Amino acid sequence: MPSAAAAAASDPLLPGLRVPGNRVSRRAISYWTARAALSGAVVVAAESAVAGASGFGVTWGVVIAATAAVLGGHALIMPRWRYRVHRWEVTDQALYTRTGWFSVHWRIAPISRIQTIDSHRSLGERIFGLANVTATTASAAGPVRIHGLDRALADKLLDQLAVATGQAAGDAT
Amino acid sequence: MTAPGTAGLVPEPAGPGVTGGAVPETAVPVAEVPVAELPVAELPAAAVPVVKVPSAEVPVAEVPETAVPVAEVPETAMPGFADPHARWQRLSPRSLVVRPLTDLARLLPLLAGLLILHARTGGGLVWGIAAAAAAVVTGLVHWATTRYLITPERVYLRHGLLNQKRLSVARDRIRSVDVTAHLLHRMLGVCRVTIGTGRNDLRSGESFRLDGLTRADAEALRVVLLAGVRGGARPGDRAQTADQHVPAGAAAPSPAAGGTGAPRADGARGRPDRREIASLRLGWLRFAPLTLTGLVVLGVLFGAVVQLTNATDINLARTGPVRLVVSDYASLSVVQRVLAGGAVAIAGYVLIAVIGYIAVYWNFRLVGDGIDTLRVSRGLISVRATTISLSRLRGVEISEPLLLRAARGARCTAITTGLHVGRGAEHEGSVLLPPAPATIARSVAADVLGVPDELCSGPLERHGAAARRRRYARALAGAVLIVAAIMAATLAQHGPAWVWAGSFLLLPVAALVAADRYRSLGHRLAGEWLVTRTGSLSRRRSIIRTDAIIGWRIHQTWFQRRLGLMTLTATTAAGQQHYSVRDVPVRTGLAIAIAATGDLVPPFLLG
Repeated sequence: MPSAAAAAASDPLLPGLRVPGNRVSRRAISYWTARAALSGAVVVAAESAVAGASGFGVTWGVVIAATAAVLGGHALIMPRWRYRVHRWEVTDQALYTRTGWFSVHWRIAPISRIQTIDSHRSLGERIFGLANVTATTASAAGPVRIHGLDRALADKLLDQLAVATGQAAGDAT
Repeated sequence: MTAPGTAGLVPEPAGPGVTGGAVPETAVPVAEVPVAELPVAELPAAAVPVVKVPSAEVPVAEVPETAVPVAEVPETAMPGFADPHARWQRLSPRSLVVRPLTDLARLLPLLAGLLILHARTGGGLVWGIAAAAAAVVTGLVHWATTRYLITPERVYLRHGLLNQKRLSVARDRIRSVDVTAHLLHRMLGVCRVTIGTGRNDLRSGESFRLDGLTRADAEALRVVLLAGVRGGARPGDRAQTADQHVPAGAAAPSPAAGGTGAPRADGARGRPDRREIASLRLGWLRFAPLTLTGLVVLGVLFGAVVQLTNATDINLARTGPVRLVVSDYASLSVVQRVLAGGAVAIAGYVLIAVIGYIAVYWNFRLVGDGIDTLRVSRGLISVRATTISLSRLRGVEISEPLLLRAARGARCTAITTGLHVGRGAEHEGSVLLPPAPATIARSVAADVLGVPDELCSGPLERHGAAARRRRYARALAGAVLIVAAIMAATLAQHGPAWVWAGSFLLLPVAALVAADRYRSLGHRLAGEWLVTRTGSLSRRRSIIRTDAIIGWRIHQTWFQRRLGLMTLTATTAAGQQHYSVRDVPVRTGLAIAIAATGDLVPPFLLG
């Protein structure tokens, strides 16, 4: 099982903590890339429109080239970086995730404190066959989200978490 | 499904206005649906225990993460989204028009605006029709795609065509089922069912809501769902929330509640075990100008004056006294104007702050009532009495805004579940002590929580040199940015040089703030209490019970990683919902998490 090998690895980002066992779907890279590229394209298009209206000076050319370079770099680097960071794991005790890229978040939520388990799939996620799973606790600050899961797996996870939370008693409200 | 015994939680259906937190006037009259005669079997999915299980594993594509490591899921308990045989239910066909019509009603102002625009320019009508069509279509789609499923353990809900939402909640987590119906609903004979899990902050898309069930279905659903609410889980849950309006008739016949958390009748007055923990002293008024309460009052007063002048058509600037003052003021020299203006402003502010303090905190008393209840009463014009059940008290926050701290003052806020969430809490239900001497604030906190004084006043563990460096780096970086911006602006506008030269004063100020922020930073874990303190301009020391912690968040920015720091955040259902130990060294932070929550964290540690 790949997760067992990964589980033995120390988290290079936070020594002492274990790396959560599972990666998200590889298709998430394409999804994040598409999303970043799309929003980058919108910004560049808007800039071009403004520049066109004011007669395309040299300054505008530089500004547009710079934003295109930055946003293009973001669309290339961020998804891969993010894929390396995003990890998740469910034990019968807790839900454990690592998300982010430049800044990294770890979340630990006990299964016994989970109240609702939701899944949301936007149009973009559906095109790439992805879904995300959100487990909320009694704390408004405590939802745990797993993004970029394979769709069928997300459904399965949803039901398995539902069963697991059903077996644990109490939610500390 | 547990038998009755839940009376404290669930008001029995006795007519309109008893449907949990439903607003009385919108509550559905359910009298024509005798609950007793509703066999549960009429709710198809609710009564049918779903034991049909896909014999094989649900086929999952050959992605690497197929193995979901959830331990031993019993095969018989696999209903839900993946179950192809589940009997999903739909909303009532009668409610088909509810969403489109409500959305259209919401669009009315916009449509009216567009029509007016149309009259002027000619393009608005098309947009208006498009918006209306979009509202109708989304409403219809919502209706057509909404499905719900009730199994013995859980309630499932899914809706959405392009953006699909799937929600599920365990039935034993359900705290309330509200049945409401506004005018349109009532005309159509349908209602809206909202299932509450005790969280009060859900965004609209995440709330568990079935908009458009027939009354009979809704009522039966309510009965079925609430029958599953565990008896005696937290008898205080419903009764304690401050803005709960439970009709007296509904609250009274609840023999099983046992009164543990239910609001006490006033018969408790004069009991020997009542003891006063703190009450207002006149000397505390000196702290009034040192908080922002005065500014709030000033805003309210200003609003009232503006409204008065608007309503009565009096132009204040034209009235005699104002003109007299203005003309006198105009005859002063510049220095005199500044001095006089400043003196008047300060005097006015102090006066108003004191008046505000008196209005809000007059007669303040904090009383311990028996062993399990705190009572806070205060207020001059509108008297406010809050009852806090100690079983819901998870901690206390001592806040010392900079000015208040300079005068050795502080105030206390209760960290409790069920009262208002978020920052408004400070001025709402959970005040434990108004701005008062810090020594009193600390002893009140210690007294209320029953912890040693040193947790509330004693020294905390420092976060070390790296944390100090980060405080300085952040404060100075911000100041440098501002200075640079001011410099660029003045140079571009050819402004006077003293502006940007003066802005360099920001740097030492930033350094002072950074030093103070580092001094404030600290934590302490003692027994079952976690103490954490952060902030400078508004410094807070939070003392929370470790058993109230229902999860951890660890946050590490790239900069923190380089310094070996992290921010550890305990999430909780009480107060601000999250309390952070900021910029703590990684090793120390993990040690806190491990020590505070028993066996939660160790499985995720190495070795």
